[in-house]
Amino acid sequence: MLSRRAFLTSSLAALSIPTWASALPIETNGELFISAFSKSKTAHFIGAFGSNGKLRWSMPLPERAHAPVVHPTYSVIGAVARRPGFYIDFFNPLSGKAIKRITPLTDHHFYGHAVFSKDGLQLITQENHYPTGQGKIVTRRWPDGEVLNEYSSGGIGPHESVLMSDDTLVIANGGLQTHPDNDREIINLETMKPNVTYLSLSDGRLINQAQHEDALHQLSIRHLDVTAQGTVALGFQYHGEPWEKVPLVALSDVKSDHLDYIGMPDHVRTRFKQYCGSVCFDQSGETLAISTPRGGLVAYWDVPSKTFLGVDNCRDVCGLVATKHKHEFILTSGTGKQLISQPRQRKISQINQLAEVHWDNHLKRLDLKI
Amino acid sequence: MLCLKKVIAASLTMLAGTSVFADQWDTTLEQIQSQYIVPKYQQFSSSANQLADATDALCAAPSNATLSAAQMAFRQNISDWQQVQWLNFGPVTYFMRYYAYEYWPDKKGVTQRQLRNLSSDPSMMAAPKFWTSASIAVRGMTAIESLLFHGDFNVIQRKSDCEVLEAISRHHAKTTEDVLSQWQQSKATDWIYPEEGASVTPEHLVLEQLVQQWLEHMSVVKDAKLETPIGYKDRPNLKLAEFYRSEASLAVIITNLKAYRALYHVGQPSLYDAASAEQPELAKALEAALSDSLKLALQLPQDYFTGEYSQDKRVALAKPLVRAISNSQTQLTNLVTALGFQIGFNSRDGD
Repeated sequence: MLSRRAFLTSSLAALSIPTWASALPIETNGELFISAFSKSKTAHFIGAFGSNGKLRWSMPLPERAHAPVVHPTYSVIGAVARRPGFYIDFFNPLSGKAIKRITPLTDHHFYGHAVFSKDGLQLITQENHYPTGQGKIVTRRWPDGEVLNEYSSGGIGPHESVLMSDDTLVIANGGLQTHPDNDREIINLETMKPNVTYLSLSDGRLINQAQHEDALHQLSIRHLDVTAQGTVALGFQYHGEPWEKVPLVALSDVKSDHLDYIGMPDHVRTRFKQYCGSVCFDQSGETLAISTPRGGLVAYWDVPSKTFLGVDNCRDVCGLVATKHKHEFILTSGTGKQLISQPRQRKISQINQLAEVHWDNHLKRLDLKI
Repeated sequence: MLCLKKVIAASLTMLAGTSVFADQWDTTLEQIQSQYIVPKYQQFSSSANQLADATDALCAAPSNATLSAAQMAFRQNISDWQQVQWLNFGPVTYFMRYYAYEYWPDKKGVTQRQLRNLSSDPSMMAAPKFWTSASIAVRGMTAIESLLFHGDFNVIQRKSDCEVLEAISRHHAKTTEDVLSQWQQSKATDWIYPEEGASVTPEHLVLEQLVQQWLEHMSVVKDAKLETPIGYKDRPNLKLAEFYRSEASLAVIITNLKAYRALYHVGQPSLYDAASAEQPELAKALEAALSDSLKLALQLPQDYFTGEYSQDKRVALAKPLVRAISNSQTQLTNLVTALGFQIGFNSRDGD
């Protein structure tokens, strides 16, 4: 339990951290990549590496984390605990210095993802009120962490959300009801009903919602990304039979209640093993990348034409982030690899591989030249 | 200078060590293919052909005797399948063959529905490219089992049912022959996808995938074959047990557990030998766990899935075996991780 004095001190410390523009480490080439990683079943960390793949710093975490969260203006990044998660630890991304910890509401847990509002004044988390299974979107004032609003996420199991605009949050309600007493055991497999929800952050109003037809109710909508133009890409994880040919990727937009499934060659679809990991657009929004650690590949699409471009093979790959260049991505894997890929040129090269490092599911990038 | 020499000598030793270690895995993998995968697929293919012949004989002269012979051939064929079922890798992954072999658990009764449709006009099965578009529910052993054992079908009295059985059995035999032939004409390393900057040999990557398959199969045995049908955590539904119509549900589990031990010990050096050289304690722990699982499965009553047992009784009987299979998974994971194999960090996370 943080004392009031300590709390105020940490909050002031967070506010006094310089913005990106005043802190430019030359060797990072103007960018930093943040990811959680593990070294063993019990040793978990968050760390930052530069464009050369070398780890600049790492800090221990109490439990395995899932995805980083990046503040849009201040030198703050966070590590969100893996579902069912009970902490978000915040750090200075240049030094690794710990800043503060935020915990979920009582009787709630985090889902592994969080996001800051565009002005950086609010932290937005997805939480599970586990006595009821109700999905929540919780906004907290940054940096003091005071809860401002609790909204319904519009479904069960809000896993990841992204900001479409200052006011609109897009939420992947995965549909899976779980209780932390039984870890990740799914309570509602027969009745689950995932959806993508567009929510107003100013009043919690449901702006729009789209879902699968009933036959695909076990197709969990889990990860997503959005372009500057407002196109949302969704990656699914199927909880039905492994042989069923279900769509695994779709596009969505705020004005439609229809999910626009996009295809891929059958042999690639089979390799996905019904499981999408990270979903990521490139800087232009024209190339979509989706990783599948179970399939050991990243697949790419041309967004305007919705055509499949190809794959990069990489064992246990999941972390995926766009670089500052068009049509270029950084990939990280559970085998410790960091790769750079230009799928339209069919070029991929390894930047580095860190021994004993298992990069966790999601990767974020900081542009230090804001 | 002396220091430099020491560094070079140490590096050479390390390189030599790596090379010897790599060669050892190369040999082990080669022998798993030549002494396990290919011979087991030979057996599977041979019994699939015998099953097709038996169904031909049944349909040529329908009687209880020819039906019984076909059922016996079927039981042999599913037993052979259980020895390679753990391996969802290589040729069997193409054209949905793996899932077509066995459409299980068929929770919605798709197989029966599709078979009834085929039986209404078996001539459709003779159409060109029928099998390339046919549902996986009617391409393999689940469909054959239904035709031979399900009360809705009568292959002795209804000619159309028998025609469907003949066609599926022949297709199943042909598929198995194709998979065997592809294993015979290729190396295991031909079936992996090369990746950028691979720091381990293709043989290492294949072994890694085989171990992943093995671990996943242990979960299938524990969860889908044992826990789910008996209602270990939920309501029981014995019809979800594997090959319950042919009353082979316990026999297939025992065959799986025997196959694990055979796989661990095949070749010279076997996986066990190679593991013992590097991690003797962990190698022995896995050996003990595998033996324990098999012993406990053999101790279950033969009518475990078919007898008049209460849910509580079945669960109580299963508990030691469930724990033993979990322990086998743990021991296998510990061993291969200590040996430097990556069995999946993100791929086993499920989020």
